[in-house]
This record gives sequence, C-alpha cells and structure tokens, in this order.
Amino acid sequence: MSQPARTPFVAALAGAPLPASGIAWLDEARRGNLEAFVAAGLPDTRVEAWKYTALRALAQRGFAAGDAQAASRPIDPALLALPGAGAPALVFVNGVFRQDLSLPDALPAGVSLQPLSGVLERDPEPLRFALARYYREAGDAFARLNAAFAGDGVVLRVEAGVRVAAPLRLVFVGAGAEGDLAWHVRNLVELGEDAELTLVEQHLGAGEQGHLGTQLGDFALHAGAKLHHAVLQQAGTGSSLFRRSHYRLDARAQAHLHALELGGALARHDLCAELVGDGAAFHTHGAFLPNGRQHMDTQLAIHHRAHDTVSSSTWRGVAGGRGRGVFRGAIVVAAGADGSDATLANKNLLLSPQAEIDTKPELEIYADEVKAAHGATVGQLDERALFYLRSRGIPGAQAHALLTAAFARVPFESLSHEALRNHVEQLLLAQLPG
Amino acid sequence: MTAESIEGRTDSVALRDNVEVAEALGRNYAAGFITDIESVGLPPGLDENTIRQLSAIKREPEWMTEWRLAAFRHWQTMPTPDWAKLKIDPIDYQAISYYSAPKKAPKSLDEVDPALLETYEKLGVPLHERAALAGVAVDAVFDSVSVGTTFRKKLAEAGVIFCSMSEAIREHSELVRKYLGSVVPQGDNYFAALNSAVFSDGSFVFVPEGVRCPMELSTYFRINAQNTGQFERTLIVCEDRAHVSYLEGCTAPRRDENQLHAAVVELVALEGATIKYSTVQNWYPGDENGVGGIYNFVTKRGDCRGADSKISWTQVETGSAVTWKYPSVVLRGDRSVGEFYSVALTHHYQQADTGTKMIHIGRDTKSKIVSKGISAGRSSNSYRGLVKVEKGAERARNYTQCDSLLIGKKCGAHTFPYMEVKNPSAIVEHEATTSKISDDQLFYCRSRGIGEEDAVSLIVDGFCKQVFRELPMEFAVEAKKLLEVSLEGAVG
Repeated sequence: MSQPARTPFVAALAGAPLPASGIAWLDEARRGNLEAFVAAGLPDTRVEAWKYTALRALAQRGFAAGDAQAASRPIDPALLALPGAGAPALVFVNGVFRQDLSLPDALPAGVSLQPLSGVLERDPEPLRFALARYYREAGDAFARLNAAFAGDGVVLRVEAGVRVAAPLRLVFVGAGAEGDLAWHVRNLVELGEDAELTLVEQHLGAGEQGHLGTQLGDFALHAGAKLHHAVLQQAGTGSSLFRRSHYRLDARAQAHLHALELGGALARHDLCAELVGDGAAFHTHGAFLPNGRQHMDTQLAIHHRAHDTVSSSTWRGVAGGRGRGVFRGAIVVAAGADGSDATLANKNLLLSPQAEIDTKPELEIYADEVKAAHGATVGQLDERALFYLRSRGIPGAQAHALLTAAFARVPFESLSHEALRNHVEQLLLAQLPG
Repeated sequence: MTAESIEGRTDSVALRDNVEVAEALGRNYAAGFITDIESVGLPPGLDENTIRQLSAIKREPEWMTEWRLAAFRHWQTMPTPDWAKLKIDPIDYQAISYYSAPKKAPKSLDEVDPALLETYEKLGVPLHERAALAGVAVDAVFDSVSVGTTFRKKLAEAGVIFCSMSEAIREHSELVRKYLGSVVPQGDNYFAALNSAVFSDGSFVFVPEGVRCPMELSTYFRINAQNTGQFERTLIVCEDRAHVSYLEGCTAPRRDENQLHAAVVELVALEGATIKYSTVQNWYPGDENGVGGIYNFVTKRGDCRGADSKISWTQVETGSAVTWKYPSVVLRGDRSVGEFYSVALTHHYQQADTGTKMIHIGRDTKSKIVSKGISAGRSSNSYRGLVKVEKGAERARNYTQCDSLLIGKKCGAHTFPYMEVKNPSAIVEHEATTSKISDDQLFYCRSRGIGEEDAVSLIVDGFCKQVFRELPMEFAVEAKKLLEVSLEGAVG
C-alpha cells in the first residue's frame, strides 16, 4: 500500500522524542504505537468511525510535543472550585500532574490514588498489561498517539468491599502556553468486588489556547462493583480534545455515566462498554450542546456479552449557531447473551439554520432471547409549549431558553449527587442563549 | 386462498406476459444475423472489446456504446465496496460471460428438480406456469399471441410506452438518452458502474403528461426470459401528473445458473406524477448449507423531480444468497413524497443488507420508512438506511420504523440508520425494535390447536401486515405464502 503523504500534524509528532521511561516493555510499546500512528496518519471520513468528523483542518496544524513548563504554569484556584463536590483530588495541567493543586489527603482507607508518573517510577509492572497495548484499528490514531506519548494520568484503585460516599474529583486543565501543544493523559481505574465509588471528571480550559489533548481511560469493575461517573467537559473553546473510555463490567457490576459536553472546538468521545459478567448493567446519560463553530462527536458502543445484562442510554443533543453534533449509539448483543435488555434514545434539537445533527443509533443482535430497542429524533421545540409560556407573559427568547434547558437537563435528572446536579443545571442555563 | 383466486391472477399475468412471447417469437424469425451470434454468445471475460461487441449485437446507437465504455472505464478505477455487513467471496468478473446464449432448457417438467416442483405446489402456482418458472422452453406454455397484442394496443392508445430496454434504445433513442443515467449516473457505485457498462436488458416505461396508465405493468417474465436478468436495467419516466404502478419479480423460486446479478432501476417523476414500484424478489437463496445462490446487488433510485410528485417502493425480499439493495428517493420537488415499505426474510445462510435512502432537498417534503426484517437459521439480516435533510428542505418530515424478528439462536438482526439533518424546521424520527417470537404468543396459538409452524406463520404475517397492505392484492396473497414456504424448518 502506498504511504499517505505526511501531513504537518503527523510530521510534527513523528520526530518528537518519546518520554523516556527506562522500562523496556513500555518503551517498546510506545515506539510501536508511534510507528503505527506515523504510518497510518489521521483517519479520513471514509473510515466509518470518522464519517461525520473530518480531521482535514487538524491535519494541517502542527503541535509541539508536551509542555516543559506545565509544572509552573499559574492556575487560578477559583477555576478548580466546584461547590459541594469537595476539593480536586488530582489536577493535571497540560497533561502533567500538579502536586501543588491536588488535595488527595482525605482518601478513605482502601482507596489508592496516584499519578501515573509516580507509579511508573516506583512499581510499573502491574500496569504492564494495560500500557503495553497496541492499537490496530483504522480509526485508532489518537489512541496510538496517547499510547506513545502519555507519561502521566491517574491510577486509581478501590479495594474489594470498600464503599466511598464522597465524590472523588479529577481535573484536567488545558492552559495557555507559548504555542499550541499536544498533551496526553492515561487513566486506569479499578474497582474491586462490591466496591463503590463516585468519580467526577472535569475538563477545563485556562487562558487562550488551541491545544490538542488526548485521554485514554480504562475502567475495570469487578463483580458487584458500582461506579458513578460524572464527566463535565468544558475544555477551552479553541482546543481539540479526543477522549476514549473503555469500561469492562464483571458479573452484577453497575456503571452509571453522566456526561455533559460543552467545551472544545473539536471534541470527540469514544465510549465503549463491555458487559462480560452475568447481570452487569451499564447506564449512560448525556447531553452535547455544540454552539458557535463547535463540533462535538460522541461514539457510544455497548457490548452485551453475558446473560441478563442490561443497558440504557439517554442522550440529548442541542445544536445552535454553526455547531455540529454527531452521535453514534451502538448496541451489540453477542450470541449467547440471552436475557439482554438494551434501550437507547437520542433526541436532538436544531436551533439554527447553520447547525447540523448527524445521529446513528445501531442495533447488532446475535441472540434471540433479547429485548432491544432504540429511537432517535431530530426536531425543534414544541410550538404549543412555547405558546403556553408566551401567553403567560414570558418573552419569546426566554421561553425558548427555558424549554431548551429543560430538554437538555433530562439525562441529568438521574444524577443522584445533588450539588453536582445543581451545578450541571447552572452550566446548562449559562450555555444556552436567552 | 381459493383455487379460483389463483386462476384469476394467472389470467392477468398471462395477459402481461404474452408481450414477451410475442417478442421472443418475433426475434426468432427476424434478424438471422443476430440470432447466429445469440446462439454463440460471448466468451467469458470483460474488456472494452466485450462491450463493443455486446453493443453491436444489440444494434445500439453510437452514443450508447460510448456511454457503456465511459462507465466501464470508470468502473475499472473503483474499489469493491466492503462497507455492507456481508461476507462475500471475491467475484471473478473475468469468469462471467456478459452475453450468454440461452442455456439448455429442460424439455419437460419431468427433467425439473422435484424439490422445486414441490415448492410450486405449495405456493399454488398453476401447472402451466410452473413450466415457465422452471425454465422449460416458453413456446410450449403460451398459446395466445393475440392477447399480448390487445394488451399492447390498450397501452398504445393511452400513449404509454412499455417495452424492453433494448427495443427502447433503438426505437425511442432520444427519450432513453435524455433520462438514462440521470438518476443513477454511470459512476454512482461499483455495481451500478458495472451494470452501466454491460447491462443486457430490462424494461422501459414512459407515461406521457396527464396519463394514468390503464393497467398495472409487470415484468413477471420479461427480463428473465433468455437469461437476460443478470444485468438488468430499468427506466420508468412519468411526465407531469402521470401515474403508473409497476410490479417486478416473481413469487415462485427460480433456478438460475447466474451467480451475480447487478441491476439498476431508475425512476423519474415529474410534477404531480406518481410511481409505485413493487418487488417480490425470490432468486435462488442457496441450499440449507449455504451452497450456491444468487448474489443480488441492486441500485434502485427514484427522483421526485417535480413538485407534488410521489415515489413509493414496496419490496418483499426472500431470495438470493446475498442481497445488497437500497431503493432510494431523492425528494427534489417541493411537497414531494417518498415511501419505502420492506419485508426482508433470511433463512439458512442467507445474508441481506438492505434499506433505503431518503434525500430531502425540496420544501415540505415527506418520507416514510417501514422496514420489517425476519432472520432465521444462521442468516444475517441488516437494515441500513439514510435520511438526509438538506439546508433548504424547510419543514421536511420523516418517520422511520424498523422492526426485526429473530427466529433461532444462530441468526443475526441488525439496524444501521443514519440521520443527517441540516434544517432546523425538519422533524426526523426513527424507532427500531428487535425481539423474538415470544413463547407466550406461541403458547397461545398452540393452546388453540394451531400447529407450531402455522403459529409462526401467523405471527410473522401479523408482523409484516403494514408492508403487505401496500402490495397490490394478488402480490400480497402470494407474498404471504412465500414467507410460509421460506420459513419451513425454521422452528422445531
């Protein structure tokens, strides 16, 4: 096969020095993934997974590899505050762990939380299986980049039977630098049998920047474990953020994900769940609100691989300005996964003639003892509801904003942490015009 | 259904078919030179020379030859599509004969596979029709040339042109030239390009302004006569306020030597015109071990070119080892309407990847999609559809419903709907479900003395009702029987 022409994007990273770990298997995996990335480049829209997200503009940009000054960049503490959700346990700035901003001291017994950089220095061997991976699919460009360059991230482990009530907060900040740069974080989260944890993941932007950020996250839930995972994505408006999360659920494990996508110029989240144990349950709730020229892409794939597994997904999209919202929601029920029960709903609002929504719910079913249903709609606000509000003296623009916010908040009604729920509602109201 | 109703239908079919017989007879007597080449056929292989020869045999005008060659040159640059959820062995295009002499036909029903005859029996196909379906030489079956003539006369009086594509290219060259490839361009996709280069025959229908076609048109035997069905090309044009209903296909299974079928169907509806296109596809699906069977790659597209036009596709797909087919409607005219009703059934090792595309361009355009997939055995059945609303399509409206029914543990049922919306006043809705026939439903039927196979048929029939309703009556009755036959051995 002929080699694709090297874009400025690939050229800038091809020659960049890889982080030196001194660990043979890690250095080898990093080299291998970088080679694979350089050989294949960025996927084009002919690759099915990238059909609606063109990377042509990104391919023409060059990013510096990493931020040497990340450790000393000033960050306003007010940016990191989240009322009612405690102090941030770990903070990363441009992909680098910041001890000075992190306050992980109040960790309950049985919870271990460390930056990846620290674990790699002390005891890397247990991470070998996760970190020595090769990404081989056509659309894996950012996973390869991450595997090659990520030198930091979160390593979190909750021992079997430990239930943590207070939310644990992880914050990733893209901070303005001398030029646009690429940063990468690698997160590994493991919940032991019957453990329970509430995790809050925030992406924030500080100052003007057009960075490229990648995040690769593995979430392993052992039998009976329960994870509440809330993601608030408010990355800087000029930045490009590519996240990929992989959840693996053993028997009776449960994961509840709430995701709010507000930030970034180009934000993509690949979300893959594998329900490998009988009775595992995965519930996702999310909203994406592209505005201005934002492009937001959520790719959800849920694989039912065991008996009596359950999944439900409720996603809302609101596209205004010249924004574009892309959603894929795939449910795959493997042969033999009898008793699977899967539902998915994606409703979208188009607020402007320049906005666009592309949605693709999918069902792939190989077992017959299943219940699977999905639905998707694209439309506009109910005229009658608008009329009702206006007839009660609420101005048109305000009525619009009110109804739009009500539409977008539906997925978060199931968010059990009250302070978080209130925070999400404030963010929604602030984001919407009116 | 009663024997009378089958007979009744047969008469109307015979009426349609005799045009074919008339043509076939005419060809035998007429041009001797052509007949000679026909009986020899072209050797396997495909290059520009093959296409020139093919075009010469068919006495086509120069522009047609060039049109085919342009398609061929483009086809050579195209990669084989691999996006469909189909497992297909590579096809050797050089091993195919692109103009074959009629294959040696069995001389009587005694030479025909008894399994096939048994199926005809179950479908209630009348005796004299069975021979034709099994490929026994046609002249033994049809006797009344005059019926065909009457049929032609009636159409001619109305101003409707209905003839084979080959004839149309010769007799109505300007009309064909104006519309051929205007909906599905030569280079549209891999199989459409191949078809454009080597299409053998098909139907041409032209309904002039204001005319309502006086009868339902059918290709019941047209394309299948003389082994020309492999690369079929059909073009239907309805001028302003014209109306036509067209039936394609054959409800009884056909034995066919051809492995690859790549057809193109183009529909053009001008202002206020309505085209209704119904298909029952039952090509040889291969045996219960997945050996043999037809690869069916079809490009069907309708263009609602004028305001207030309407195109409706209804399909019942039970045959072929592989089906790759997405009848589409381009809703260009304001207030135009597109519809797609489909039942796709797969059994044993059959694979179907089928659905539709609705492209909304004009204002106040509407589309409706109802798709029912039934998978049994080890088959794989996918719905793949696109609903696209362009920027200018104010108040476009779409409703899509896709339901899948699974019978057995080894089959797969998949749904891949794509929705692309660029207009904020549009409303697009999609719903899909997948389930199996529930034990409760089966138990209910059985407790009332209905055998298991009949119970499954009953439930499947109910599942498909929404689509069968859209079929012309005789077709609906047969489609129902066809599902019963196709599902044999799916339970128990």
